Amino acid sequence: MTLSLSDPTWYPIASSDDLPFRHVYQGQLLGRELAVWRADDGNVNVWENRCLHRGVRLSIGINEGGELKCQYHGWRYANRSAGCTYIPAHPADAPARRIQNRTYPVREAYGLIWSAANDEQAFRPFAGAEGHDWFALRPMPVNAAPEDVLAALAGLAPDDQPADLLPGLAVRFGGTWYFVQPVDAGRAVIRGLLREQPADAVATLRHYNETLSKLRDRLERAAARKPAPEPLQPTFEKLSADLATMPDIAIPRGNTITVVVRRKWTSADGVIGFELAARNGHLPTFQPGAHIDLHLPNGMTRQYSITNGPGELMSYIIGVKQESASKGGSKVLVETVREGDLLSISEPRNNFPLRRDAVRTVLIAGGIGITPLLSMARFLDKSALPYELHYFTRAGEQVAFRGDLEALHGKVILHTGLPRAEIGTTIASALGQWSMAQHVYVCGPGPMLETVRDTATAQGWPEESIHFEYFRNDKVIDNSSAFDVELARSAMTLHVPSGKTIMEVMRDAGLTVPSSCEQGACGTCLTTVIEGEVDHQDVYLNRSEKASNTCMMTCVSRAKSARLVLDI
Amino acid sequence: MTITLYDFELSGNCYKLRLLMSILKLRYNIVPVDFYPDRQHKADWFLRLNPFGQLPVLKDDDLILSDSGAILAYLAKKYDESGQWFPNDPAVTAEVLRWHAVADDITSTASAARLALGFFYDFDIEKAQKGAHRIFRLMDEHLWFGEREGRDWLCSPDHPTTADIACFPYVMLSEEGGISRQDYPALRRWTDRVRRIPGFMVMSGIFPAGRAAEES
Ligand SMILES: N[C@@H](CCC(=O)N[C@@H](CS)C(=O)NCC(=O)O)C(=O)O
Ligand code: FES
Repeated sequence: MTLSLSDPTWYPIASSDDLPFRHVYQGQLLGRELAVWRADDGNVNVWENRCLHRGVRLSIGINEGGELKCQYHGWRYANRSAGCTYIPAHPADAPARRIQNRTYPVREAYGLIWSAANDEQAFRPFAGAEGHDWFALRPMPVNAAPEDVLAALAGLAPDDQPADLLPGLAVRFGGTWYFVQPVDAGRAVIRGLLREQPADAVATLRHYNETLSKLRDRLERAAARKPAPEPLQPTFEKLSADLATMPDIAIPRGNTITVVVRRKWTSADGVIGFELAARNGHLPTFQPGAHIDLHLPNGMTRQYSITNGPGELMSYIIGVKQESASKGGSKVLVETVREGDLLSISEPRNNFPLRRDAVRTVLIAGGIGITPLLSMARFLDKSALPYELHYFTRAGEQVAFRGDLEALHGKVILHTGLPRAEIGTTIASALGQWSMAQHVYVCGPGPMLETVRDTATAQGWPEESIHFEYFRNDKVIDNSSAFDVELARSAMTLHVPSGKTIMEVMRDAGLTVPSSCEQGACGTCLTTVIEGEVDHQDVYLNRSEKASNTCMMTCVSRAKSARLVLDI
Repeated sequence: MTITLYDFELSGNCYKLRLLMSILKLRYNIVPVDFYPDRQHKADWFLRLNPFGQLPVLKDDDLILSDSGAILAYLAKKYDESGQWFPNDPAVTAEVLRWHAVADDITSTASAARLALGFFYDFDIEKAQKGAHRIFRLMDEHLWFGEREGRDWLCSPDHPTTADIACFPYVMLSEEGGISRQDYPALRRWTDRVRRIPGFMVMSGIFPAGRAAEES
């Protein structure tokens, strides 16, 4: 029998006990090295043991509970998806592209961790697996060919009880099952299971350990007399240059995902919580500060920030403000959407990325603005980074996600029912004077954002240290220009007169253009620009995105040049 | 008291002392000795401190000491008020010294392989690597059963001792000698625990472990 790199069989690759929290286990299956780690939610990750950045082994990385951090340059990867969530060399940007490490299928069962080289086969319990309280033996690595190890194990069976050879390099006799993990052509690990818990666990473990050690020594002596088999030669797919470098701009992906409303509850006076769960598998990677577009049953699209902590990908939790029923968006959600309903969401997009290199991070939330900041606080919390979260509400009953806030270890300060004047002084003292590597993040009503921005500026905070997310664009839009737009993919040239938006002109011409806020705040109408100079008027794109001149919001932004070519 | 460590930054044996002194919060001076490439540990001035021509050497006022295991015991007995790092109990003392001896075996195998690969020493690499694997196997077994029996460290007390400090560096640096620890999962978990001892410090090639689950 020769081992095949593409063997789809599920093999055990570790014991459950090998994976305590906050540890990274180093494994190998069919020649491929694996970094295996258990997240704080219990989920086991089996990944290719290479950082996508410089190929350093992830098994020497740091398990932060929800993310795995590479020891080398600190790239972080999310539990479940292995999507990259943070690149320290680009602390101010969200890794916008889908940079994702290679994952292998995984199942934890019978005290063992099982994996396979590919997902061609669904996991199936071995025959007779169900209904027993399995007891895992001490794994025994052996420097010998897996098939030789299997044959030797079969030889352990007593004469009156011949061994049963099972599919997948396994053998059974009596109440003992042995699985051979094919590490490589000349290496294996014996993983034994007893069908029942023995009376004296340690004595039993020692007994089997002794037997298997002797077997190992015999096998290794025999292997040393034979020529060593050629190790398997797995190929490592290189990350494309496109993915390995930071994009200038985050282009949203068109994909929508169907989620089910798993839970809907009143989180606070005027705030309804929604848990949107994946229908199978997990949801895409997101970074703190990210939001999703929610496509409502009435055809509208609304943006909601993800409140989750690192590596929480089984569902997204959002908070919806009850009375902001403007244009009927939240109203539909709050009044008609019920638990069990299906909704369609976009992939997460992040216009509000969190730096994780600050010596001090101040998070300021007003009302429903708590949602992105809760996520940020959770990420900082897991990495044990210092932060202060100030949460302003009009009354104590309006404090949303109270239980989640109480679970945080950082400084969380609730400011309830402060008179207007006091809000200003509270913000001023919360900020303090700026010094190196301090950052403030604010989300809330427009006037509060302005207060924080102005106060911070007055107290010496430079522009790069003030991060904010607008729910609305309050700027006065100058729509006096007139120009032509050429729609490259629709082979159409349209004239945009003063007083009309590009979006309106495109719709007049019969095109379907997705939109939501129609004031340059939400990002739904983001469009790629092929040629021409954009007159940006939105509050959605950040400065570098605007300067790149490669994209625009067609609902408010216009052209400085006589002609714009758009990728539509 | 004035402690002076004759130190080579890349030496795991010198690092053992830096590590314990960091844990015990001791202040000390460093005299760098150019072990490689200058071979100053064979220079006359150094041989007067340690005729065996080996790093590390530690001076405490007028007292001159050599051998990392001996110095670990000295520092613990003299400066560790808790009495935990080198316990007085005769049986535990014997256990600790047993592992100090293993530490020397690790030096002559895992460290030798590293010197051969990284510092161009003329050692039998394969023999050194095989020797290290033999020791790591035994350590893994000892630590694996320790986990089952409620023992987290090399010796029986429920806290680390100088035995853990003595064995740690060249286990952790073994990859530099081409010795993978993939087959020693319990040994790998123990290195996490050592790296979480309050006061732990790193050296080149030894990375920190993240925080444990309980404390975060
Ligand atoms: N048993 C001694 C061994 C020390 C040792 O091997 N030191 C190395 C440097 S890490 C050395 O000086 N080697 C030179 C030699 O042995 O000639 C100890 O633990 O201090
Ligand atoms: S190699 Fe992993 S972050 Fe650079």
